[in-house]
Amino acid sequence: MSKIDNEATKIAVPVLIPARGKLPSVKRLGGWHAIGPIVIFLAILVVVAILTPAFIGGGGLAIIASSSAPILLLALGQAMVLNVGSIDLSNAAIGLLGAILLALTLGPVAGLSPLIVLLATTAFGAVNGLILAYAQVPSFALTLGTLGIFQAIALVASGRTTVYVSSNGESVRSLYESGIANVPMTFWMGVLLAVALWVLLRYTRIGRGMTAIGKNESAAIFSAVRTRSLKVLAFALSGFAAGLAGIAIIAQAGSASPTGLGSDLLLPAIAAALIGGTSISGGVVNPLTVIFGALTVALVPIATTAVGIDAQAQSLVYGAVIIAVVALTMSRNKSSIVK
Amino acid sequence: MVHKVVAEQVAGGISTTAIRIRESGIERRARFRGLAEPLSLLVALAVLIGVFSLLNERFLTASNLQNVLTQSAIPLIVAVGATLVILLGSIDLSVEGVMGATGMTWILLSANSRGGADLGPWAWVIALGVALVIGVASGLIFTALKVPSFIVTLGMWYVGLGIATMLYGTDLLPRLEDEGLKGWTSRISFGLPNSFWVALLVIGLGIFVLRSTRIGRVTLAIGNSETIVRSAGLPAFRVKVAVFAIAALLSGLGGILATVQLDIGSPTVGSGVLFIVIPAVVIGGTHLGGGKGGILRTVLGVFLLTILNNGLILSGVESSYQSAVTGAILVAAIVFAAWSQRDRLQVAK
Repeated sequence: MSKIDNEATKIAVPVLIPARGKLPSVKRLGGWHAIGPIVIFLAILVVVAILTPAFIGGGGLAIIASSSAPILLLALGQAMVLNVGSIDLSNAAIGLLGAILLALTLGPVAGLSPLIVLLATTAFGAVNGLILAYAQVPSFALTLGTLGIFQAIALVASGRTTVYVSSNGESVRSLYESGIANVPMTFWMGVLLAVALWVLLRYTRIGRGMTAIGKNESAAIFSAVRTRSLKVLAFALSGFAAGLAGIAIIAQAGSASPTGLGSDLLLPAIAAALIGGTSISGGVVNPLTVIFGALTVALVPIATTAVGIDAQAQSLVYGAVIIAVVALTMSRNKSSIVK
Repeated sequence: MVHKVVAEQVAGGISTTAIRIRESGIERRARFRGLAEPLSLLVALAVLIGVFSLLNERFLTASNLQNVLTQSAIPLIVAVGATLVILLGSIDLSVEGVMGATGMTWILLSANSRGGADLGPWAWVIALGVALVIGVASGLIFTALKVPSFIVTLGMWYVGLGIATMLYGTDLLPRLEDEGLKGWTSRISFGLPNSFWVALLVIGLGIFVLRSTRIGRVTLAIGNSETIVRSAGLPAFRVKVAVFAIAALLSGLGGILATVQLDIGSPTVGSGVLFIVIPAVVIGGTHLGGGKGGILRTVLGVFLLTILNNGLILSGVESSYQSAVTGAILVAAIVFAAWSQRDRLQVAK
């Protein structure tokens, strides 16, 4: 099921040739997708700073950075999946399941526990990818189904209650308590992952292949790109990033609850990836700008309160933001068919 | 059948014998498949009922069957709308949000423990109006701005939840105080629960719209090939908006009934419904790509899932496993449905 049928035209138009009479500056910088996220973040930050001056003085930026860590990690995974033209609705649930597994296993196996969790979440992601690549089913329906399965595993594993770290929690907690420039390590973990993914996408054959799939899957197949294994890899990376998000949740809170079921993080993470300049139809992504996407999303609750919108309206704002960002940034033409 | 509609609109006279023979062949095969799939569902239903009644003698009692019918009523109502949207080739993920917003609007405008205005029947009109506005907004953003439907409705899901949470505010739980309405959904008239009568009415209307009206025919045609629909000059734009509006209205109706059933207003009144509705439509055999399927099949799908959930709980399976069961069935159903059409070059997003 192809969502838009204009991939061919998208590639055929050389991006770097500016139309006569138009200012080329924005395009030379890499277009909206490169500077947009930073501009949006700074604009909202300025509004917040003017309305509540105490916020910036009181170390508000560090607070935003630390609260954005799980969203950033999930958004990076989501961005990798969006880049191959799919969507992963299950990654927040995988992250939460990872957090619960970590809380349960830290006591018995100590240092091995994060490793086990990362292996498990990567495997969960890979299973999504394998079914998608070999059964050729639409990703939103598939991951909606696996979302239910991961939810149930989380409920059963935790016994429907909040799971606390029993012992050996110090090492994981230090990820949140220690930091660089007053910002916890969990956030820098996200930045590190973003840089690694940026290098992967820009300089390796694997990364170029993934972007090629997102731009035009048929063309990628004809160009001998190993589309199946790369899609599996994209979903596995999403699972891996979700596992890191789970570790960040435990580092921050010391406990994980199976209710809410990660849906609290699903939409913010998708919003962060989209505000970060990731295209919903695939083929356009920059992990580095996703960092600003995540910071913007973490800023939204603070900004809405500053502007005077009820804090309860948060989910409404996230929903509206997602629709607006996709509406503003989608490339479309008159004859294309959107489903 | 749809081929015929489109052919009538496009050609008006170029049909040759060869095309006619081929078309009748396709139609005959489609009719056979149209029978075979529901039959296998009915067999699966019968097997499930047999197994569960052996496991627990309480399963086949009249009170439990009425229970199953009450439980299936709201998913049935919502699923009729979801089927229409999926027949377009789109998806509606917003049902739980629309249910929350509509249910909350309705209870706050009806007789409730918080006091406030009791608008009686107007509460229904205004609440369904909220659903209609959300549906039309989804439809317009989807068609006019060309935003993929899963993103529009994912956003609308949370917009609806946000509206419901804001209406809920920080006050006490709004409790339904209309004695005539309390428990109305599960009360029995003429042998069936009231909410199930509503569901039957909605199913009947849905089948009528799909089979005998322009909206229904064009919906099927859009699912088959939107390009052809547009070049035939059919109103693809208006029909798509209308279908999203109908789906939201039905979700809203489901939201009100769920609020009546729950007795209290809650923003998350619809939670879990999406997880029954989408798998039910897919198991019923409606293609996620659009154009093929129908409402009666979805009805079978809803029954299958409700009976499965009901039977599992009666057999002592913990309710935590419910979302895993429906999730696994959804995955199995889409894989099974897509398996025969796998093609290395087919692009699946």
